[in-house]
Amino acid sequence: GLLSIIRKIKKKEKEMRILMVGLDNSGKTTIVLKINGEDTSVISPTLGFNIKTIIYQKYTLNIWDVGGQKTIRSYWRNYFEQTDGLVWVVDSSDLRRLDDCKMELDNLLKEERLAGSSLLILANKQDIQGALTPDEIGKVLNLESMDKSRHWKIVGCSAYTGEGLLEGFDWLVQDIASRIYMLD
Amino acid sequence: MEDDGQSSVAETLDPALQKKHHDMLERLSARHQARKSDSPDSSSSSSSTLESTSSFLAKFSDSKRSIESRIAESRLASSSTDSSKLKSDLAEISVAIDNLEKLLAENSYFLPSYEVRSSLKIVSDLKQSLDILSGELVPKKKFSFKSKSTTKKPESKLPEIQKPDVVLPPKLVPVRDSPGLRNKHGETLVKSFEGSSIGEFTLSDLDSCQVKLTGTVNALFLHRLKKCSVYTGPVIGSILIDDVEDCVLVLASHQIRIHCARKSDFYLRVRSRPIIEDSNGVRFAPYCLDYKGIDEDLKTAGLEEETNNWANVDDFRWLRAVQSPNWSLLPEEERVSLLTISGDS
Repeated sequence: GLLSIIRKIKKKEKEMRILMVGLDNSGKTTIVLKINGEDTSVISPTLGFNIKTIIYQKYTLNIWDVGGQKTIRSYWRNYFEQTDGLVWVVDSSDLRRLDDCKMELDNLLKEERLAGSSLLILANKQDIQGALTPDEIGKVLNLESMDKSRHWKIVGCSAYTGEGLLEGFDWLVQDIASRIYMLD
Repeated sequence: MEDDGQSSVAETLDPALQKKHHDMLERLSARHQARKSDSPDSSSSSSSTLESTSSFLAKFSDSKRSIESRIAESRLASSSTDSSKLKSDLAEISVAIDNLEKLLAENSYFLPSYEVRSSLKIVSDLKQSLDILSGELVPKKKFSFKSKSTTKKPESKLPEIQKPDVVLPPKLVPVRDSPGLRNKHGETLVKSFEGSSIGEFTLSDLDSCQVKLTGTVNALFLHRLKKCSVYTGPVIGSILIDDVEDCVLVLASHQIRIHCARKSDFYLRVRSRPIIEDSNGVRFAPYCLDYKGIDEDLKTAGLEEETNNWANVDDFRWLRAVQSPNWSLLPEEERVSLLTISGDS
């Protein structure tokens, strides 16, 4: 049915749709610009969303970077459709709001439209002294108890230095490719 | 040469594989036919994805024209219609624009990026003209979805918070506290970051305190401050402020986010646009701090130049073209002059 047609179209263009979400101040926009080799020195908090099309290896990534302020989190749902990869960005230095972070992630993962998407959790701001490690973040978010059918991985990164970003996206792109482009 | 190359490739192909390939092409074309014949049904019932650029563009421009004409009608009818009718008209147009945006979002995966960009531009233009219109026609009324979202949130959250509590205690993993100053009343608190390896710093639960922070850190969190004065050296990354009242805050950073602030004055230098959310009675003025070595610290944080962004505040609770009633510029005659502090107490 529809799914196979979507697969066919995507196969031809080798496109992937990636949705970036997370609390405000987690560094979503900075990550996207850093991956794309752009200047990250002046970035305003995202009012609404940005779309970035990036050629990554042999794939075209359409990255949807959606603002994380409380007021606009209710609009995240407008971007769920057709999402191949979900990137959940965590500010590893924001210890106070880890509960908020867990709650919003849990809500997101209940969403049926995101059920088939690969999940990359980026434990961002590892450059900041005192930030929690990816292992610690994984425990706080209780990732081990996640639904068995979900493909997921947590990677520590710094959007400031760029460290860890490629490791994370390499995994995400490979994981999506192995699901969608199995015929290759 | 080329012919030779091709034929040799064809020869080396496994005949079974060729057969498979052929079958697949047939299946795909059959599916394509099937889709063509029943597409009107499926597009209306199951999903609004259209799967062709031209049919998307046709539908998109239809909706766009209809929204534009409704905006024009509302403008013409504004003098003769009563305000509640006008308000509901505007709300309907706003929903129509949201639907248009949703249509775009749902179809973006196959659209050429140029079409996505130009369509996004159209959506944002429509939003802007609606903002301007509603600013002209109903200057004082808030949009209904604002109050709705505030009332909805707690309701939808409650059961979901309780659920994980049953399964596991919320603080299963002990989270250490970050360095900071907490739970003080009526004190003067001084801290120098010079030569320290502190990356993030927190001020929380302070009442009637004066806080002086010199040197640079990567991240600063301010939480639950009342009747405090806070003077800080430049922060390299970002400052996150949540729940402050009756405060004077003198801050510099790459990004500054202000949540739930009431009756407070902010003296800022910031590389990007500062934002407020759920705040009111907040006023803004330029950064005015001085201490020994601040010039170097400003340079370290890339904040040596005044950007004038202190006045470019985005209010996430007021997404309209007219000025937000929640914040204002602090009149010059009410501003404090240059504040000189020292790193020692």
